[in-house]
Amino acid sequence: MRGTDLKPRIERFNAAERVAHWMVAICFLYSAFSGLSLWSHRFYWMAAVLGGGETVRAWHPIGGAMFAAALGVLFVKWARQMVLDRDDLAWLAVGHRYAMHEEEGVPESGRFNAGQKVLFWVQTAGALMLLVSGVVLWFPQAMPRALRLAAVFVHPLAAVVSLGAIIVHIYMSTLVVPGALRAMTKGWVRPGWAKAHHGKWYREVAGK
Amino acid sequence: MTNGWTDVSNADVILVMGGNPAENHPVGFRFVMEARRRRKAKLVCVDPRFTRTAAVSDCYVPMRAGTDIAFLGGLIHYILENKLWLDEYVKQHTNAPFLVKEGFGFSEGHFTGWDESQGGYDRSSWQYELDTSGHVRVDPTLEHPRSVFQLLRQHYSRYTPDAVANIVGCTKEEFLRAAALIASTGKPDRTGTILYALGWTQHSHAVQLIRAAAILQLLLGNIGMPGGGVNAQRGHANIQGSTDMGAWNMLPGYLKLPRANQLTLQDYLKANTPRALRPNAWNYWSNTPKFMVSLLKAYYGQNATAQNEFGYQNLPKTGENENWGWAYFFDRMSRGELEGLISFGMNPVANGPNTAKMLAALAKLKWLIVVENFETETASFWKARKLGDKFYTGFASPAQIQTECFLLPAACFAEKDGSFVNSSRWVQWKRAALPPPGDAKTDQEIISRLLLDLKSLYQKEGGRGAKPLLEMSWDYANPAHPSLDEVAREINGRHLSSRQQLKASSELQEDGSTMCGNWIYCGSWTEEGNQMARRGQEDPTGLGLYPNWAWSWPANRRILYNRASADREGKPWDARRAPLRWDGSQWSGDTPDYKGDASPESLGAFIMLPEGVAKLYAADFLEGPFPEHYEPAESPVKNPLHQEVSTNPLAPVFHGEFDRLGEAKDFPYVAITYRLTEHFHYWTKHVASGSELQTNFFVEVPEELAREKGIRAGDRVRVRSARGFVEGPALVTKRIRPLRVEGRTVYQIGIPIHWGFVGRVRGPLVNNLTPSVFDPNSGTPEYKGFLVNLEKA
Amino acid sequence: MKQTVAKLIDTTLCIGCKACEVACQEWNDQEFSQGVFHNSYQTMPDLAAHFWNLIKFHEVEKPAGPVWLMAKYQCMHCADAGCLRACPAPGAIIQRENGIIDFVEENCIGCGYCITGCPFDVPRLSPRTNKVYKCSLCSDRVAVGLSPACIKACPTSCLTFGSRADLKFLAEKRAEELRAEGFSAAGVYDGPGVGGTNVLYVLKYADEPELYGLPKDPKIPWTVRLWKGPLKWVGNTIFFGGILAAIVHYLKVGPKEAHEDD
Repeated sequence: MRGTDLKPRIERFNAAERVAHWMVAICFLYSAFSGLSLWSHRFYWMAAVLGGGETVRAWHPIGGAMFAAALGVLFVKWARQMVLDRDDLAWLAVGHRYAMHEEEGVPESGRFNAGQKVLFWVQTAGALMLLVSGVVLWFPQAMPRALRLAAVFVHPLAAVVSLGAIIVHIYMSTLVVPGALRAMTKGWVRPGWAKAHHGKWYREVAGK
Repeated sequence: MTNGWTDVSNADVILVMGGNPAENHPVGFRFVMEARRRRKAKLVCVDPRFTRTAAVSDCYVPMRAGTDIAFLGGLIHYILENKLWLDEYVKQHTNAPFLVKEGFGFSEGHFTGWDESQGGYDRSSWQYELDTSGHVRVDPTLEHPRSVFQLLRQHYSRYTPDAVANIVGCTKEEFLRAAALIASTGKPDRTGTILYALGWTQHSHAVQLIRAAAILQLLLGNIGMPGGGVNAQRGHANIQGSTDMGAWNMLPGYLKLPRANQLTLQDYLKANTPRALRPNAWNYWSNTPKFMVSLLKAYYGQNATAQNEFGYQNLPKTGENENWGWAYFFDRMSRGELEGLISFGMNPVANGPNTAKMLAALAKLKWLIVVENFETETASFWKARKLGDKFYTGFASPAQIQTECFLLPAACFAEKDGSFVNSSRWVQWKRAALPPPGDAKTDQEIISRLLLDLKSLYQKEGGRGAKPLLEMSWDYANPAHPSLDEVAREINGRHLSSRQQLKASSELQEDGSTMCGNWIYCGSWTEEGNQMARRGQEDPTGLGLYPNWAWSWPANRRILYNRASADREGKPWDARRAPLRWDGSQWSGDTPDYKGDASPESLGAFIMLPEGVAKLYAADFLEGPFPEHYEPAESPVKNPLHQEVSTNPLAPVFHGEFDRLGEAKDFPYVAITYRLTEHFHYWTKHVASGSELQTNFFVEVPEELAREKGIRAGDRVRVRSARGFVEGPALVTKRIRPLRVEGRTVYQIGIPIHWGFVGRVRGPLVNNLTPSVFDPNSGTPEYKGFLVNLEKA
Repeated sequence: MKQTVAKLIDTTLCIGCKACEVACQEWNDQEFSQGVFHNSYQTMPDLAAHFWNLIKFHEVEKPAGPVWLMAKYQCMHCADAGCLRACPAPGAIIQRENGIIDFVEENCIGCGYCITGCPFDVPRLSPRTNKVYKCSLCSDRVAVGLSPACIKACPTSCLTFGSRADLKFLAEKRAEELRAEGFSAAGVYDGPGVGGTNVLYVLKYADEPELYGLPKDPKIPWTVRLWKGPLKWVGNTIFFGGILAAIVHYLKVGPKEAHEDD
């Protein structure tokens, strides 16, 4: 329904991508908060919010597994697009300028900028580590002790990295880049937005 | 036990042989541990298996099952050769100085007097040399060639360390190490004790074996001493009580059963009242008429009068050479000579030897009554083929068995009052903790109601043998359910005129004015009340005798033969360990095993014996006056001491269809059966906790044999004897060492009992393997040391 | 401050009678199960959620001959308890004033971290209740002045209960006795790596505790230490630092506006 908005739009994420992303997001958030409730006794109140410790113990691994599965879908969809090219490396080298909104010397980005691509790979690696270590922690009695010993360290380590990265992602997508959230909710952006944030991609889709 | 559990903590050396107290008497074993910690006592363990007792011992010697007499004989030899005996004790308190008649001897496995055609001995050549007054001649110097001491030395001269090692299968060094420890107690200030159990009694030469232990302890001066003695660890809570009460082929108080040729009470008393053999022998059994008449008064009450020999004719009498012990009556049963059986708290199918014979014997009965807490293998013997499947192929199927079976549910120990007599001879009173479940009844109610019904049937219908039952006194407030207080008071006995409870057996009379159900329990329930219920923890001697805890038979004596703890003048061998002290007019401390006011020199220390002293030499037993090593009925080797007379010539042999013996060529391995700490007999397999601790039957196989046979841990193996077979997983272990005997390797296999075809957990009945071979004196079956073969199942 | 309580296991007095096992089962109202044969007298191969006290049997060949070692195995009640460190659920594992480490069933969430955190591999997860169980040193009995059930049942005084200080003294004295008897390696096992254990052992072969099934040098696993130590701080820094940085960035730099309609 475009209603009365007759300004031009460009489709940024199709429905399947959006669904997958939000599946990932919901599972991630659930896993993150349920996981955080067990991270420190000071966060244990979150467990109460989520139905109590036993519920958290039972469902956190399921939420985690669902997160991994949903991320798998996104991975299939996006992995090729997430390969870093030479421009991306150049972009990363001047990432601090990007952060200060300086445009000079920051190479134009494709559909995903280098930061997003790094996030993708960080989350993919993190999820893999979380999944493997999580399965070990899910069934402690069935696992050899050495694996469990590794898992108790790997799991929170990966979670820290993953959570750190997600804080940046959420901040960027909601507050730093107006319009980015809409791209993931409604699926479209304005051409000006595309040109400004993803110049290379804009030219591709605009055929210029 | 001559001494008691608490007294074990007084020992300097503890020999555990033919027993495994850490596993089977763990609570009593605390006193072994106390001796070790408090006195640095040394624990010597001699056993075919490296048991849990061996695990905490200071010296372990492996041995071949059934060679205990060789080992003990070796110790006797070692002590005599190395002059380690306690000389004054031996001269004062044993029959070492006694002279034996001319003509006694031993050669090639037989003592003199052997009669091949009778299969027994004419014991006349074994007797002492008497003087004109009927007393034994003695040589106080012990040097006379016919003195017991010299005969003993001569007899055991063959038991050299090399000979012992060759028979027993241990190394000579192992034997000598143990011998040095044990013989170290032959000093006045050191004592050693012996703890044994069924590992000594379940042999075809068991009584002689225990005699050998007694000889050893006498030479070392360890009898009558705190921390000494020969101590039988009894295997059931009240088996001592049932023995005391004559449940086994005896009358109460170890009075003998009348024989058919003892036509009158006078005949009986004459045959069973010994005559003193030395001037200073108190010869306490000379009181037999008082014990017997008082017992008859307890049995027949008003119906026992001097005119009718106090009802003596009511007692059953057995034929002169007839034996109605367990082995014999089951043999008769297997030949169809018995009509019925009341199996009261006994599970013969499980615990009798040669299960197939037990099953077949019961199947010949018209009726069988089992009184039990659980459905036992005996109650359900007719299901054996169905439940035990392949183990009992030779046995009839349920449809072919005509025996009418009754299972009467009985109260268990916690559901009834009464006493338990423990191994220490302590009669400890207990009260019911809870009522019996369902229809279960107490033993006394079951017995009484049977008796009363039988009486009324006899009264109504008459019949053969009615008199003994009709004349029996049943004088209780509620004859159908006597209180055990009443029964206990009756066992203690009372003066019939004053109705005063007896204080001691010395008050018994032979004129019928006293009654007493068991003379050795006189004093257990006096006018002061139930002595068995006492729980005083005072220990005036400091030796752990606790005279006010319960009551110990006889006469609350805690250490038997305690007079022997002191020398001729009454001076204790070891002042720190004196159970008795003589103050010039009387003895104090433990109840003296002596006349309380008799001077030390006046009497022999062994008041029960006609000799007045202990017997190194005893002509009382069937096989001979000295214990001799005989091989078990099934043995991998011929007796290295005398090949021609390899096994006990007196051990009874049965010739029924099930009584097969195997030979080493078919059954090359020695097997032993035993209990595990986790279970109690065939009982705890019905109980959740016991079943959890040891769920599975198994067979213990030495590592080396397993390797030879290609058996790995947990493989299912079949153990076969000439009687039957069992199957189970192999527990492959280092703890049963292969032995070298007569130049060859002998393997031993361990088979725990405890399983059967009913209960929470099931497994084969191990007695499927064991032979119907028994000790001729006690009738105990030979469960230690029979032959089997082993194969992968 | 309450006295720290302890249990002393003098393995030289243990006869493997399993009275402690039954007492433990009975007092704690455990379900009874049936064992599986595994070539040993040992009741079961290892501790279980419904079996907290297990005598381990080990047949060992020593130069002087065969040795059969028996030692009771259960929670060691460490001063520095790995299970407690690893437990994410507040109140599920508590260290009582008297030193007892107690598992509180209703607070346990069944995550099993304690199993991994324990250097002695003691806690066991029950598949039925999905909670973790172990010996409580009979904290219920101790609280009312009784000794633990296993101690009460032990016939040989192999087990003693009392203040840790007293028992430590007794244990050292006993070890000295054993050394004097010729067992030169005798000693006391007291888990120094976990700040001492409130279950003390006297061992004849203290230099080889693994012969008894005891870990040679028990320590809280380094991964657990790293996780509960530095990683926690790194993580907290990243979480809170990340959020703080975002706020600062937003306030200082603000959003990156684009001219939408160009």
